[in-house]
Amino acid sequence: MSESDGESDFNTVSEKTRLMDGHVETNGSGSTVPLDVRNGQESTRKRSRRSGNYSEASAEDNIGGEAQVSRSDGLSDEEEELKYGAKHVIKLFAPVSLCMVVVVATISTVNFYSVKDMYLVYTPFHEESTESSTKAWMAAANSLILMAVIVLMTVLLIVLYKYRCYKTIHGWLIISSLMLLSIFSYLYLEEVLRAFNIPMDYPTLLVIMWNFGVMGMIVIHWQGPLILQQAYLIFVAALMALVFIKYLPEWTTWAVLAVISIWGPLRILVETAQERNEQIFLALIYFSTYMYAYTSMATGDEVPNVTTSRSTSEDHGFTQDWVENHANRVDQRQLEVHNMPSGQPRTQIHQEEEERGVKLGLGDFIFYSVLVGKASSYGDWNTTLACFVAILIGLCLTLLLLAMFRKALPALPISVTFGLIFYFGTKEIVSPFADSLANEQVFI
Amino acid sequence: MDLSKVPNEKKLYLCRWYFRVGFALLPFVWTVNAIWFFNEAFRKPEYEEQKNIKKYVIMSAIGSSIWFVLLATWITTFQLNRASWGEFADHISFIIPVGTP
Repeated sequence: MSESDGESDFNTVSEKTRLMDGHVETNGSGSTVPLDVRNGQESTRKRSRRSGNYSEASAEDNIGGEAQVSRSDGLSDEEEELKYGAKHVIKLFAPVSLCMVVVVATISTVNFYSVKDMYLVYTPFHEESTESSTKAWMAAANSLILMAVIVLMTVLLIVLYKYRCYKTIHGWLIISSLMLLSIFSYLYLEEVLRAFNIPMDYPTLLVIMWNFGVMGMIVIHWQGPLILQQAYLIFVAALMALVFIKYLPEWTTWAVLAVISIWGPLRILVETAQERNEQIFLALIYFSTYMYAYTSMATGDEVPNVTTSRSTSEDHGFTQDWVENHANRVDQRQLEVHNMPSGQPRTQIHQEEEERGVKLGLGDFIFYSVLVGKASSYGDWNTTLACFVAILIGLCLTLLLLAMFRKALPALPISVTFGLIFYFGTKEIVSPFADSLANEQVFI
Repeated sequence: MDLSKVPNEKKLYLCRWYFRVGFALLPFVWTVNAIWFFNEAFRKPEYEEQKNIKKYVIMSAIGSSIWFVLLATWITTFQLNRASWGEFADHISFIIPVGTP
């Protein structure tokens, strides 16, 4: 892939998406207020939906976890929350695991992604020296540059958002999703076919890519079956993770992961959006349930503000905020993974349930997959599995915290920290241990 | 999207839209249309727009199966005869396998 491609990828804004707290409205409150808020949000959602499609490089990490707060009598609030929260945690496991499995499978079979022949223009320091200290400062410099680019993009996006240039943002998102879907999947297909030595002719390829791309655009940006939407989002996240793994030098990857887990520059954007009480970008959000009213669980109506930031593919500053909200998203469709069907607020004034779902930003998916993919590229399955488990544990913990604190939380730090700890720990300690055990034929 | 929450006119609109888009060489869209609206067209109790939806679903299904038959024939022909076609086959090939057969 040429560097210019990488550049254009990077031009997308990387933002950390965060889910903003929605407003909680009770059922019993007057219908006019919720309706207005909902309509307002609906329109902004619509706008943000269209602009929220962020396809290209970065996935924004917007994670919103919504705990369902039920005000029904008979169950305490906390119990309800934990119960529904847990259910949604499980529901998030599947897509995250799927994404990671796709990335790991590709890395193990296709050599292309493990070979470093080109670097992005954002990482000018190539770690080719053999000394550790040189590598270390190169990695640090690279990650700083990346973070700076991310911040720049974020600021840009914030400025655009503040001045309500929705059209620009929409256009940007659409273009980036288009490019991501077409160019990256084309390259991916080419590499996979080459790895398996399967011949393919141009006409068939053209038809397949055209169908795949257009379907993806329709499903992500407009309306389509939920499963398909989720599948596309997972695939796009996996693609981005693969691109990251390929194009970042070794130590830089780890450094970037470490830095990202600590830092979160997109708070500004989220807070801005929160002030405006709008939903910023419904891009890159993966919801675990339908956002419709389920008559069995009706409690308060909340109109959540969800902001998702888009992150460019190369620079991902993902902050994931978990938001516990009841989303009354009637009309939401987000770029990346949205598993929420949208209803129509107008007709659901008396809707009691709100979507209860946990929203996870796409950037989170990407970074988790990058972590696991990198671990698997060294060929050791122990480390890969360890990282995988670590990330899932981190996810559980984050969701638990989300249930307890009930506000948007970044989803990256805990999982990534665990992942990194487990990775390095396993690599240095457990693997040699297991190897020598196998050598000596000692079974524990 | 969850179809059960969408009003009927919207469903018809979606179905029709998907059907029309499929004419742009997009059998995949037709397949998705047929599968997605299958329940709506055939398994739900009668409602007003259902007749039209049925029509579109059937036409989408027919269209996509024609496309798939065409694609399958072309792919089989290509894969089997690629080596014997010589230069033309190389010219339209995207990936040429390496190694000896």
